[in-house]
Amino acid sequence: MEIELQEIRDFIAAIPPLDRLPEDVLNAVTQALSIQYVRRGADVSADADNVSMLHILRQGAIAMYSGEDNLIGMLGEGDICTSFCAADVMPDFYVKATEDTLLYSIPCDELSRLVGDDESVLHFIRHSAAQRLKQAVARMQEQSSSSLLHTYAGDICHTPLITATPNNSIRECAVLMSEKGVSSLVILKENEPVGLLTDRDIRKRCVALGLDVDTRVEEIMTRDIISLSASDSLFDALLVMTRNQVHHLPVFNDEGEITGVITTTDIMRQEGLSAVHLTSTIRKAESLDALVEASKMLPRIQLQLVNMGADLHHLGYAITAISGAITRRLIEMAEEKLGPPPVPYAWIAAGSQARREQTSHSDQDNGIIISNKMQPGDDTWFESLARFVNDGLNACGFIYCPGDVMASNPKWRQTAATWQTYFDQWIEEPEPMALMLSSIFFDLRVIHGKEKLLKKIRRNILQKTPKNQLFLAHMTRNALSHRPPLGFFRDFVLVHDGQHDDTLDLKHSGLVPIIDMARIYALAEGLKEISTEDRLRAAAGTPSLSKGGSANLLDAFEFISNLRLEHQAAQIEAGESPDNFMSPKQLSKLEREHLKDAFKVVQTMQATLKMRYQTGRI
Amino acid sequence: MMLGWLFNLDQKRRKLLEQAPEGPVKEFLRTDFPDRGLPIDEVPLLAMDFETTGLDARTDHLLSVGHVALQNGRVLLGSAHHQIIHSNREMADENISIHRITHDQVANGMSLGKAVESILGELTGKVLLAHHAKVEISFLQQACKRLYGIAPVLPAIDTMQIARKRLERRQQPFKANELRLFNLRKQYGLPAYQAHNALMDAIATGELFLAQLAHGNYRRSPPLKNFLLNP
Repeated sequence: MEIELQEIRDFIAAIPPLDRLPEDVLNAVTQALSIQYVRRGADVSADADNVSMLHILRQGAIAMYSGEDNLIGMLGEGDICTSFCAADVMPDFYVKATEDTLLYSIPCDELSRLVGDDESVLHFIRHSAAQRLKQAVARMQEQSSSSLLHTYAGDICHTPLITATPNNSIRECAVLMSEKGVSSLVILKENEPVGLLTDRDIRKRCVALGLDVDTRVEEIMTRDIISLSASDSLFDALLVMTRNQVHHLPVFNDEGEITGVITTTDIMRQEGLSAVHLTSTIRKAESLDALVEASKMLPRIQLQLVNMGADLHHLGYAITAISGAITRRLIEMAEEKLGPPPVPYAWIAAGSQARREQTSHSDQDNGIIISNKMQPGDDTWFESLARFVNDGLNACGFIYCPGDVMASNPKWRQTAATWQTYFDQWIEEPEPMALMLSSIFFDLRVIHGKEKLLKKIRRNILQKTPKNQLFLAHMTRNALSHRPPLGFFRDFVLVHDGQHDDTLDLKHSGLVPIIDMARIYALAEGLKEISTEDRLRAAAGTPSLSKGGSANLLDAFEFISNLRLEHQAAQIEAGESPDNFMSPKQLSKLEREHLKDAFKVVQTMQATLKMRYQTGRI
Repeated sequence: MMLGWLFNLDQKRRKLLEQAPEGPVKEFLRTDFPDRGLPIDEVPLLAMDFETTGLDARTDHLLSVGHVALQNGRVLLGSAHHQIIHSNREMADENISIHRITHDQVANGMSLGKAVESILGELTGKVLLAHHAKVEISFLQQACKRLYGIAPVLPAIDTMQIARKRLERRQQPFKANELRLFNLRKQYGLPAYQAHNALMDAIATGELFLAQLAHGNYRRSPPLKNFLLNP
C-alpha cells in the first residue's frame, strides 16, 4: 500500500471489528477498496460486476429496507453495511442513501480472504447487526452457569412415584411416607391423581386439629394440585413455588402421566436458595420491623438469582412475587388495625411492578381503585391504608415515588368512575405533558383486592386506544424523548452529569425506549399484555410491529437488561447500592459491539415508529 | 469550431503518431483514445495530481505525482500510485542502471524520465482527470518535449472547469476561491481529507468528479465528449 493512503487506512482501522486486524492486513484491505459516491435517494448497489460488496460509510447515511417501506436499519458515518455479505440476503432487501454518501467498498469474499482466520471479523462480515445480537444473547444464555435453568423437572423428580388412594387412612399414609422417606404422597383414584398429601397437611389439618388418624386421607389432602410439566426448568419450579407458596409440585410427562414430585429440598440441593423461604417469612411477619428485616434479604436474593443465571424475566417474576407479598402483608396489617374496608377496592401497582420487571431497588408506583359505591367520609379509611402501606414499602426499601404516583396522593386514590374519566381524558384529549406523567398508568396490575374493578377499566382503555391516532402520536413523541446513546461515529455518547461521568445509562437510554415502544404497540393493537416481553411477542406480526422487528427488540431488551443485572450484581457484591450507570470500560470489546448493535436496533425501531405516527406534524 | 470538430483529439493523435520518434510518447499515442461517444461511466479515467515548485511548466519543477484509476463509477484504491521525483536526476538514467542504485533510493526518488514513462504507460487508453488540469497537462507535455522532443495530445477532463461551467450557467456571481478543490468537496458533502499529498489530492479529485456526475441528474450516462476539456 502507498503510505500516502494512510489517512484512508486510519479511518477504517478505527472501526470495530476491523480495529482488531494487524497492520499488514489493514494495508491490504485498504488497497482492495473502491470508492463510490451515492446521491441522496439513490440505491446503493448490492454488488459490482456480480461481486457482493461490503460497504463502509465514509460520509453520509443509508437506510436498509425489506420490501416496500419496511425500514429495518439505518447506518451513518463509520458504520459498516454487511447486509450484502450475509449468506442469505432477503430477495426484497434494498438499500437507499438518505444523504449524499461516500462509500468505501470491498468485495465480501476478498475481505474474508484477507482477514484469514480471525473468527470474530469473519462472523461480523457474514451477519447483520440483528443476527449478531441474537447470537450474542444465545451465547450469554449458554454461559450462564446456573444448573437451575438447565436442569429439567423431569430429570430430577423422585422415582418410583409413591402413591396412596383416597380410602387409605392418614395413619397408613404417614407410615408409608416414613418407610419410603418422602415428605409427600400423590393420591390416585383409578390411576388418576386427585390430590396431594404433604407432611404439612398432616401436621396442620390432622395433628394440630386433633383429627382421628384413622380418618380417610381424602379429608385432609390438597385437592387443587399445582403441577409442572417434565420439560419445565427447575427455575420455573422455583417461580411456581414462590408465587403459590407451596413446597411440593407433582410433575407430569408429555403423556399426561404423573412421574414424580419436586420439592423445595430438591431445588435447594441444586442451588442454595432462599427466595421461596423469604416469601413465607414475609407472610408470617408479625410486625413492620420483621418485614423490614426480611426485605433486607432482597438485594442478596437478586445477586443470588443473577449469579445463577437468571434473566430479567425470571428475576422480575421473583422480585415482583416478593414485593407483592410485602405489599399484601402490609395491607393485611393495615386492615387489622383499621378494621374492614367500608367498600370494595383494588390496590394497584403501576410501572415496573405491574410489568413484573422490578429489581430490588425499584421505587414504588401504586394507587387504589375504589368501588363506585364509596360514600363521603369513606376516604379517611383509604387514606390511612395508603399512608400505612406507602410508608411500609418505603421502609422496606421500595422508596417513595419521586413523581408522587402513590396511593397516598388523593389523585391516585379514586373511584372506578373517576379513574375511567382520567383515562378517557388522556386518550381522547391527549396533552403531551399530562401523558408523559401518566404513561405508567397504562401498565397496571391488581396486587390485592377486587380484580374486577381494574378489568372493566382496562377493557374500555383497550377499546379506545387503537382508534385514537393523536393519542398514539403523542405517546410516540414522548417515547422518542429517550434515545439510545449512540453517536454519529457509532461511538457511545456518555453521561456527563457530574455524578455518573463517562457512563451509559442502561435504563433510560436502553430499556426505557423499548418499554415505551412495547406499550405503544400494545395500545395500538388493543393487547392486554402488560410485561414488555409479552407485549412484544403479542404484537409481532400485527400492523404495528413486524415479526422481525419484534424478534430484534426482544433480543435487544434481553441483552441490555442482562448487562444491567450483571452490573447491579457486581455492585451489590461490592457492597455498593445498585444503579443503572455502567462504564463502557467494564465491557469487553465484543460486548461493546453487541451493545451498540442493541442500541442500533432501538434506534431503527424508533425511526420506524416516528414515521408511522408522523410525530413531526403534531 | 468546425476545425476543432474535424481535427478532434483522435485525429491529432494519429498525426502526432506519424511524427513521434520511437519511445514512450509513440507507445502512448499508438493506442486509440476512448471513443468520444462512450458513456462517461464506461470511460477508463486516471485521476492525477502533480506537486510542483510553481505554475510555469517551463521554469518550475515537478516534485511528485499521484494517480488513481476510475472505472464504472468507482475510484480503485488498488491502482493508487505515488511517486517522488528527483528532477535533478533527469539525465542520470544510465547511472541508475549501471550503478545499481538501492531499492530505498529508488523509492525515495525517481528520475523525471522514468516517472514520465510510467505516467504515459498508466495513461494509455485512458482519459486524464484533474482539478485545474492545465497544470498537469502543461507539465506533462513540457517534460515530454524535453525528454523526447515531442508533446502528446492528452484527452482530459477538468473538475474545476465543470464546476465553473455549472456556476456560470446559474448566472450567479462567484468567487474564484469557491472553485478550489477543498471548497467544492465541502459543497458535495465530501470528507475533508487532512493529508495533502499528490495521491490524496488525485483521489479527492476522483471523488469530486463522481459527486459532480451524481449531481448532474442525468437520466442516462452522458457521452465522454460532454466532459472533455477543449484542447
